[in-house]
This record gives sequence, C-alpha cells and structure tokens, in this order.
Amino acid sequence: MKKNSERNHKYYVLGFYLLLLGSWQLFSSLNLIQDYLFPAPVDVARRLWQLGSEGFLWPSIEATLARMAVGFSISAGTGLIIGLLMGMSRLINGCLRSLFLGLQTLPTAGWVPISVLLFGLSDHGIYFVIIMSSVAAVAIATSDGILNISPIYLRAARTLGTPAYAMPSHIILPAALPGIITGIKLGWTLGWHGAVSAELIKSSVGLGYLLYMGRELNDVSQVIAIMLITILFGLLLDRFLFGLIERSVRIRWGLESNAA
Amino acid sequence: MKVAPNPEPLLTPPAMASAKLRIERVVKTFQNATQTVEALQPMSLDVQEGEYVVLFGPSGCGKSTLLNLVAGFEEPTDGTIFLDGKEVKGPGNDRLMMFQEHALFPWLNVIDNVMYGLKWERAYRFRFRARRKRAMELLEMVHLTEFARSSIHELSGGMKQRVALARALAPDPQVLLIDEPFPALDALVRAKLYAQLQDILVRTRKTILSVTHDPHEAACLADRVVVFTARPGRLKTQIQIDLPRPRDINDPQVADYARGIAAELEDTNEEEFGTKP
Repeated sequence: MKKNSERNHKYYVLGFYLLLLGSWQLFSSLNLIQDYLFPAPVDVARRLWQLGSEGFLWPSIEATLARMAVGFSISAGTGLIIGLLMGMSRLINGCLRSLFLGLQTLPTAGWVPISVLLFGLSDHGIYFVIIMSSVAAVAIATSDGILNISPIYLRAARTLGTPAYAMPSHIILPAALPGIITGIKLGWTLGWHGAVSAELIKSSVGLGYLLYMGRELNDVSQVIAIMLITILFGLLLDRFLFGLIERSVRIRWGLESNAA
Repeated sequence: MKVAPNPEPLLTPPAMASAKLRIERVVKTFQNATQTVEALQPMSLDVQEGEYVVLFGPSGCGKSTLLNLVAGFEEPTDGTIFLDGKEVKGPGNDRLMMFQEHALFPWLNVIDNVMYGLKWERAYRFRFRARRKRAMELLEMVHLTEFARSSIHELSGGMKQRVALARALAPDPQVLLIDEPFPALDALVRAKLYAQLQDILVRTRKTILSVTHDPHEAACLADRVVVFTARPGRLKTQIQIDLPRPRDINDPQVADYARGIAAELEDTNEEEFGTKP
C-alpha cells in the first residue's frame, strides 16, 4: 500500500515538472511573453547545445568544479579541525561559535569585493571566497555533532579502557560523523554559491563567467541555460553524492530506518 | 582520659580482606542548585571471586549509582571501593560495564566491536590476529559467528545484547558490571539469553555485579540478591539463592525465590507509603 502511494507521489512530481515546462513553452509559443526578455525552453536548450558544441560549456563546468575541489577541500579540512576543537573545549566553542554565526549572516557574494582587494583577479581569490563561505558551516556542524554524541558511547569507550589520547580518533569523530556529513553537505552548497558568485566578477572561465558573459551580450537564453546547469551540478553533488553518503551513515548509525 | 569506643573496627578482618570487590562505607550525595540529594547512605558490601551478586530495589534507590561508582564513572562522596585490595579510581576495563542500551559502536561491525576493547590491552596491543582470534572465540560463545561481518543496525535487540556481552568479556575483566541487562526484550528471547548467560558464567566463573528491578531475573541469575530500601538507598537485606545452575526462569523454585524477593520490595514500598499519609 505504502509503496504504491509513494510511486504515485513520484508520478505527480514528474507531472508537475512536465506541466511547468509545458506551460512555459506554451506561453512562449503563444507570444504571451517577449522572447528577448524570457526565451522559450527550446531556445534555452538550443543555446545550451551550442555552448556545448562550441566547447564553452564543459571547460567551464570543469573549471568551477576544480576550484571547488581545491577550495572546498581546504575548507572542509580546516572546518573539521576547528569544529573538533570547538566540540572538545567549552571556551573555544564559546568564542568561535558567536564569531562564525555572525560571519554566516553575510551572504556568500559579500566575500567577493574583499577577495578582489586582497587577491586581485587570481584564482586564489575564488578559493578564498569558497573557503570563507563554507568553513563556518562545516565547523559549527562538526562541533554540534560532537556535542550531540550520545554519552553512552563515551562511557562505553571509557569502560572498555580507551586511553584519553585515542578518544578523538576512535570515538569522537566517528560518533559525530552524521553531524559532520550534514555540515559538509551544507558547506558544499554554500561553497558552490560562493564559487559562482566569485566567478561572476573575477574569472575568464567557469560557470559564473558564462553567466556574466550572457548578461554582457544580452543573451537571456545563455543566462537561463547556465543557471539551470549551475542548479543541476549543485544538486547532483549535494543530493546524490553527499545525500547518499549521509543517508547510508544515518541508517548505519541507527538514526534512520532503511524501510522508508 | 577516657577514649570513646570506636563504633567500627579500624582494621579489616582477614576473612574480609580476601573479597574480590569490597565496597566500604560508601556514601553518595548529588548536589544541584537548590538541594542536596542523598542517593546512597553509608553502604558496605563484599563480593567474592566468582560470585554473581544482583542489586535489587525500587527505582531511584541508588543501585545504579552504586554500579556507576564501582565502574568509576562517578566518585563516592565518602568511603572507598577496593578491587583486589586496590582502591578504584576512574573507569577501566578491569571493571567493565555493560549498559542498559547495548552501546555498541555503530561505525564498527560486529567483530570489530568485540575486538575494540582488546586494542588497549597490552597483550593484544599490536597483535591484530590475536585480537581477531579472541573475538571469534567470544562470538562463538554467544552463537553469533555467522554475523561477524554484519553491521550493528542489522541485528535484532537480543543479538545486540549478545554482542555487547561478547565485547564486555573480551578483555577478560576482573569484575563484570551489568546495568539492567536485558530490559527491552520479549520474554522468549530473555529466557534464552538467561540460559546463555548462565552457561557462559559457569564456563568463565566471572565475578558479576548487576542491577535489576525484575525479581525473576534476580532469582534466575544471582548467587546472592542484595535488596535496597527506597531513597536514600540503604542495604535492607540479603538473600542467598542456593539453586543449582543452570536455572530455568520458569522453574517453580526460581519462582518461589522471586516471590520472596518481590515481597521484600513490597515491604519497602509500604514503609515508604506509611510515612506519607
């Protein structure tokens, strides 16, 4: 019964997207909206195809992903260490938590001007924006994960004779893993925002750059096409890569049943 | 000048000194912002080597507190706990505790959980193979060898408790502490587990201190049942259970003992209600 209704639910969602796409196409075909202001789905698809075949699209995706790989690795590693320190020391947690929560209220694009001033138009500035956008989220989620560890694991570890020096590596980090992965997932999304924002202003290749060029050339189809690609790749990694890891960890840790 | 007679002898009698676990005039009070709660009044208890002692009493009587003190998770407000004549300080795997919830580590599979405690033992420190061998022996003892590579979340409640038992026995603790061993299991699984636990006890002759509020469990497992009064916890009475092992939880003699133990608890409750009209 339940499975059946769930499958129906999926069809409804699929139907919703088809309807959305269909009515968008219909509005354009009936000339209800001006195509230089808002292009039809087929125009967007055609532009996307052109960008792909002219060799603009793939190198841009690659460039943005490569920047994310570098920037986010640094950010996740740093955030993890800071979060670990925050989770183990009340004092450090008290000081840094308020600072990070404050920094998090700044939109990711807000880091771009200072990065231009500090790093000029080099890629280092983009790494800087990615790191500053995401490091606080990773650190806070890691420390939350540690502070929420069920005390029973710590007690079991102590009664089993775990020496104090082995606690972080053998108990604290693995026990906090569900929280850490949630933080990495959130950090990835914020870093992705930061990367594209930074590329808008200071790069000559990348998804943000293609967005910027679309605006310069008054090419709405390109802007929308790249927006869709940015959403798609953001989702792919967030939902499918980190999402699947998160789910399997949550099931294994007994926080979620695998029936649903 | 007259010296007041000392109410308690300063020297421990030699017969008592041989006790495996010795709890000597231990007091525990908890302090919160508004009041001081007396959890345990001065309590002395000896547990002999190879003895299974069950602490039994109404909830909140301090029996779990005593177990935590022996495990070293908390420090007594006054008094001392000795293991083999040495004072107990902080948690350690010579007094290994099994918890109400299984407390298995979900990031490790079954065999890695059982092997975990061995990692910190000198004899096994850098000997992965020896650890594995020992863990397999223990999994055999609880009849779970075919689940060695399973994840914890794949096991049933009873299987998890058996893995927890194997993990607790692996480092060969001097005393095994069990806090309400099998609370959330159905009757059939419990009866099976009791049989298995006794079988293991007969084989390993472990010294065990355990806590329960189920009189049947106490009667089935214990050599001696220590009955507590309601808070603040005091030693009310001790009941020796002289039945051969293995005992069946449904055996009429076990049931008789269980009734006797439960009756002690009812008295305690009456006293409790008697003071409060």
